[in-house]
Order: sequence, then C-alpha cells, then structure tokens
Amino acid sequence: MRRPFLLLLPAILACGGGGESAPARKTLIDSRDNYDPRSLDPALSTDVPTGRAVGYVFDGLTRFTPDAKVVPGLAKSWDVSPDGITYTFHLRSGVKFHDGRPFTAKNVVASFQRVLDPATKGGRGWPLYPIKGAEDYAAGKATTMAGMAAPNDSTVVITLKEPFSIFPKLLAMPVTSIIPDNPSADFGQHPIGTGPWKFAEWRHDDYLRFAKNPDYFDGAPKTDSLMARIIPEMSTAQAEFEAGNVDVLNVPDEASKSWQADPGKSKLLSSAPALRFWYVAINTTRGPFADVRVRQALNYAVDVSTMLSQVMAGRGTVANGVIPPSLGGADPSRKGYAYDVNKAKQLLAAAGHPNGIDVELWASTTDQSPRISQTLQANLAAAGIRAKIIQRDASSMREAARKGQTDLALKEWWADYPDAENFLYPLLHSKNKGVGGNVSFYGNPKFDALIDQAHQEQDESKRNTLYTQADALQFNDAPMIYLFFYKDLFAVQPWIKGFTVPAVFNGQRWTDVTISK
Amino acid sequence: MLSFIVRRLALSIPTLFGVLVVVFLLLYVAPGDPVQEMVGERADAETIARLRKELHLDEPLLKQFTLYTGGVLRGDFGNSYITQRPIIQDIRERFPKTLLLAGSAMLLASILGITLGVLSARNPGGWFDRLGLGVAYLGISFPVYWVGLILILIFAVILKWLPPSGYGGIKYLILPALALGSRSIAFLARVTRSAMLDVLGGDFVRTARAKGLNERVVVVKHALRNALIPIITVLGLDFGYYLTGSILTETIFSWPGLGRYVVNAITRRDLPAIQGSVLFLSVVFVLVNLLTDLAYAKADPRVAYS
Repeated sequence: MRRPFLLLLPAILACGGGGESAPARKTLIDSRDNYDPRSLDPALSTDVPTGRAVGYVFDGLTRFTPDAKVVPGLAKSWDVSPDGITYTFHLRSGVKFHDGRPFTAKNVVASFQRVLDPATKGGRGWPLYPIKGAEDYAAGKATTMAGMAAPNDSTVVITLKEPFSIFPKLLAMPVTSIIPDNPSADFGQHPIGTGPWKFAEWRHDDYLRFAKNPDYFDGAPKTDSLMARIIPEMSTAQAEFEAGNVDVLNVPDEASKSWQADPGKSKLLSSAPALRFWYVAINTTRGPFADVRVRQALNYAVDVSTMLSQVMAGRGTVANGVIPPSLGGADPSRKGYAYDVNKAKQLLAAAGHPNGIDVELWASTTDQSPRISQTLQANLAAAGIRAKIIQRDASSMREAARKGQTDLALKEWWADYPDAENFLYPLLHSKNKGVGGNVSFYGNPKFDALIDQAHQEQDESKRNTLYTQADALQFNDAPMIYLFFYKDLFAVQPWIKGFTVPAVFNGQRWTDVTISK
Repeated sequence: MLSFIVRRLALSIPTLFGVLVVVFLLLYVAPGDPVQEMVGERADAETIARLRKELHLDEPLLKQFTLYTGGVLRGDFGNSYITQRPIIQDIRERFPKTLLLAGSAMLLASILGITLGVLSARNPGGWFDRLGLGVAYLGISFPVYWVGLILILIFAVILKWLPPSGYGGIKYLILPALALGSRSIAFLARVTRSAMLDVLGGDFVRTARAKGLNERVVVVKHALRNALIPIITVLGLDFGYYLTGSILTETIFSWPGLGRYVVNAITRRDLPAIQGSVLFLSVVFVLVNLLTDLAYAKADPRVAYS
C-alpha cells in the first residue's frame, strides 16, 4: 500500500506546529522511502528505495551529482577510442572496501558479470548490454564477457558492440555499482561497498541505518550517520516532519497547496524539476489510433496547463515532446498542441469519426493517476471522445499495456540517467515495443534511424541536434498525449544545511549535508 | 478435551489445503506478473523468459502446485521472488510485531471495553450508560485509519507526547494499539452491556443479593462470569482479525508487521510471499478459533468438549 488512504488529512495535519530548534542528534533522517527496499545488493536494484540505498553504500565507475551531471566515481578518468568502441577507464588507486580489502580492476569485471549472471536473478542487465558479449553471457552462452578486460589493477578496458556515446552515464546507475570479490550469500542484507556510507542496520519495513565511512576517497560525509526511514503513508511522513523527527519530506501532491500557502512552511520548501514524465501512451496499432489525426485530436482535446495547476498544484511544466527542459536536446521553441476542442473535433471528423470515438483509458491507482485520468476523461468528452476509465493496480495495468491491450494508458516515466536518450529510446524506439517501455507500439524507421545515429555520435552538440530532430518527428506523429514533466517538492528542516533536491533519484548522497543551528 | 483438540487440529488440515488451492488458483488467474515486477519498468523479452524458466513459472499449473506443496510439506515456504529472502524468515521477523500490536490492542480493548460495558449495565439509561453509548457509536463509526491519523495529529504533532510512528518501546505502541483497538473497545462495551443486563435480571443474581453479598462481588464474580461467553466470542473474532494483519494500522503508524508485508507482496505479485503468508495466517486463524472454543469451556463449566 504505497498511497495515502485519505486525501484530506494532509491538509489537517498541515495545520500542526513545526519544530524549529535543531535536534541534538547526529543522524540525518530521510523519510522518502515508502516501501522496503528489495535488497541492498546492487544487482537487484530495480526500485527506487533500493537504488537510493545502494547509492549510499556503493560507488560506480561514474556517479551523478544532484543536478544530474555525470562525474568520475571509482574511475578518475576515461578515454574513448576514435571509433567510439573502446573505453579505457583509469581507476582511483588506494580505494578500499568497507571491510578493508582493496578495490581493483578485477572487481569491476566481476561485478558486471555478476549483474548479468543468470544465477543472480536480478533482471536488470540492460545497462550493460552495450558491452560486447554481455548478452551472450547473460543468456548463459559464454563463460566470460568478451568486452571486459582488466589489463592491470588500475585499468579497465571495455569494448562495446557498437559506439554508444552515453555509455558512461549508464555506469552511474545503482545496478552497475562495484562490489568486492566473493560476496556472501546474504550480501543483499549485509552489503559491503566503497561508498561514503557503511551499512549499519536494516530493520525491514522500519528503517535503514548507515554510518559514515571516514576513509571515503572523495571526502568523508560531514555527519555521523544517516537513517532512511520507511514510511508507507505520506500523511504520517508529514507528521514526522512536523514533529521534527525527519529532516527531508517529499511533500505529497495533494498537500502542496497548503504548504505553499503557509508562510512558515513555505520557507522550508525546495523544488527542482525531476526527470519524470507523465504521459498517456496511445497504442498506435489499435483501431482508430493508427490514424495520426486521431492521435493529434487527443492532444488538442486535453487542457494540460489547467490540469497542472488544478490537479498537480502547479508541480510540473507542460511537455511539448518527451525531453525534459533541463536536458540537452530539449527544444523550448517548439509549439505544442494548444488546447483547442474545435480543432480536435475537426481532426476526428476528417479521420472519419464525426460522431466521436469510444476509447478505454487505463490508469493505475497510484499517485495522482485517478485524478488525472478523471480530468482526461472530462477533457476528452468535450471533444466527443468517450473514454471509459479502466482502473487497475500498477502491476496489472503495466502488464496489459505491455501486451498491447490498452487503447490509452496513463503512465509516468522515471529517468534512470540524465539524458534525452533515456526518454526517446525506451519509450519510442521500435526495438522497445512492449516490455522495453514503448507501450505506444510506435514504430517509425526515420525516428529509429535518428536515435541509432545519436547512439553513435560522439559530439554532444551534434547528438543533441539529433535528439531534437527525433523528438520533433515523434511529436508530430503523436504516439502519446504529452502531459507534463514533474517537479519535485521537498520540505527540508531549517537546521539542515547542504541538501539539494536531486534530479535523478540516486543523485543525492548526503555527504555534504549537516545539522546546524 | 485432548481428543477434542486433536480432532480439531486434524480437521483443520483439509481447511488449510483448501486455502492453499484457492490462493494458488486466484493468483494464477489474477492479472499481473511477478517477473515483470522483478525487472521493473524497462526490460527485454529474453530476460523475462529466462527468469520465468528459472522460477518454474513456465511449467503447467499442476506442476507448479506440486512443487510448491512439496516444499511446504518439507517446511520450506520458498524464497521471495523480489527480495530473494526466505519467506519463513520474513514471517518470523514480522509476526511477533503483529502479535505485540494485536495483543496490546486486545488488552486495551478488554480492559476499557468490559469496564465500560459493566458500568453501563449497572445503571441502564443513566448518564454513564449514555456516555458509554456515545463512545461506542463513535468507536464503531470511525474508520481505523481516520482514528489513527487523528491520534497522530493530537498526541504526536500538537501535544508531542508520543512519536507519530515507528517501532520501538512502549511509547511507540500506545497510539497504534489504541487506534487498532478502538473498534473492539466500542463493540465490547456494547456486547458486555447487553450480556450483563440479561444476567443481572437472573434469579441467581437476586439470590446473591438477597444473601447479602456486596454489590461488587455480585457484579464481578456472579454476573460478569456468566456474561463472559459473548464477550469471549467478540474477543476471539477480533483477535483473529488483528493477528492476520492490521494492514491499515500498520501502514498509518509505519509498524513493521505482517499486514504491510502481505500488502507489499500483493502489489509486487511476489507469489511465494503471498502464498506463504496467507497459509501462515490461516494457521493462526484456526488456532485462535480453537483457543476461543477452549476458553468457552473454561468460562462456563456447562460447555464441555469431548
């Protein structure tokens, strides 16, 4: 149960007083996890709480800063061969795991193999698939990965199948973190990494505790320990924040307005665009949706900016494409589908549906999905599109959408790494139809070609131009109703210094955060 | 008595087997796929196929059922698909916490509910009776999550007497136990009151009073003892429900019990975790019912099991 049961209570709770004086504790306390992590084994990090915790204990070859830059991690630098195929990572020397063993290049090779090893049953091998031989290894067809080599203790040479210019970004994902040799059978319960925080304690469904690693290569954390409380109910998390028991709160959407309106509390708010995209996947292979005019009509029929201000408390920016404005390739000058009911009706009529159409709109029960889907239903109805809402739990809905059984599916996409490719490729490339993420079943060879070309393009600005072109192309094809890019809104206690809202979920490692008066 | 217990336990085996079959079939026909939950939002068909094979999800239903039942008979509930931890260990970690919460709620409910009921019955129609009625109405009408959040608001946020949520010493226990027990307090108060009224009008009560026993002895020793059967029924039923996971209370108060575990397992379609905990909870439920029946005999010598 990950959602609030009662929508009005946050407002009531928001009336309580707040603690102003700094607590005596030397532990930073986070309240954002709302379910127990799957494991603390990087190879199993397929969910947000797991990914965040793995980011505290482990390092990858690269890492994300809070503002989504990719900076060196365990690799202090890397060279790329002119053909874009061979990456040579120069590793930091003198780095030790929390148990004192030295970190060497062999650990990198073993860690990556372990992620892909079928026996690990992790399920997230794809960030390593660009490496030559990775897929064969994952399928059990090879005993080593052809593209991985450790010529000496401080060098790793990775050969890719084909040029993939953003590869270093994928190495900052939690799943590609580096672990020591011979992990114990219960490694997921007692992880050992090189990261800024050492694992201390895990009480399931209660909290995780980490102690600072005084020897961290990039400077020890400034506070003694870090606790991630697991609080399933957002109203409760708010109460904990009010009581001064937690330092950072993810303000629930439905409580945003009351927080923003309260002069005392609004001072504590901190907002940042998240790499999260809300959209409605239109299955382009089903009935009337094969016609681009119908898909465009859907876009004209929806009043996204009113939805944003009324339903989302302004927490987002209207999406005119799939690339968030903070990423390279976004085109702020692109003209969107303005809200225009008549235009929608005309397009429908031109497509042969003068009396409108009947559609099924699938939505999950999580977050704001129920409210957004009702708003969509009302908007679409005005244009003669009769939408029947099919509300299912997230798991059932995802399965139906992947099987191509949904006309329209209201979805939210969280980026794994800060690059336009993380939106364009999984959501819209024809290779990813279904389980890969493209539940619009969109397939446009021109679009595919642009993305394939961008994958190979070493020059960032040229690559961004390709992204912009691809985004414009698909935007015109309208394989989705473009809703908005989400904005995170956190409340941070006044005694907390140095906390910035991360753009990617594992981008804030609390190393510079302090408790002070 | 012993043969009664043995027979009841033996009879529960087909019940539990039935539960197992139903849960298995339900999960089989329900939409949602554990493997898709394991791989997250972005995946590839090969990985999914490989995991299905690894977890025997590609086998025929009967084969899967036999595999699972065989494990259960050997005492092996399997490992969670999602966390890869043994289900038994997960249950062992969480059930004591659920037991503590349910036990405290029942203790609170028995003390407050029965007292309220007895005092109300002493003077039906009096001010205390009417007050008790009011409290009972509120307790039954307010849903537990609402009561929980209001308790948090008052005692944790405004008064700051108790922590809003979490697991730890007794101060973490008070609010969730009160929230969880609120309905039982109300219900017990009403049941006790009406049972007491029935009994207090009885001949033996008049006799007891006539022979000059003091009123407290009459009420507590003679009347209450005879009114216990319906009270035990309510206690037994509620306790059974609380033990099988007070999902809402555990969620509101971030209490790391079995209820939340089951809900999480369902959201993630973690089949072994769902099956294991449902089976375990069925056993608990059967046992609580058995204990309730035994308590009847203890409370009323006329009830005899053989």
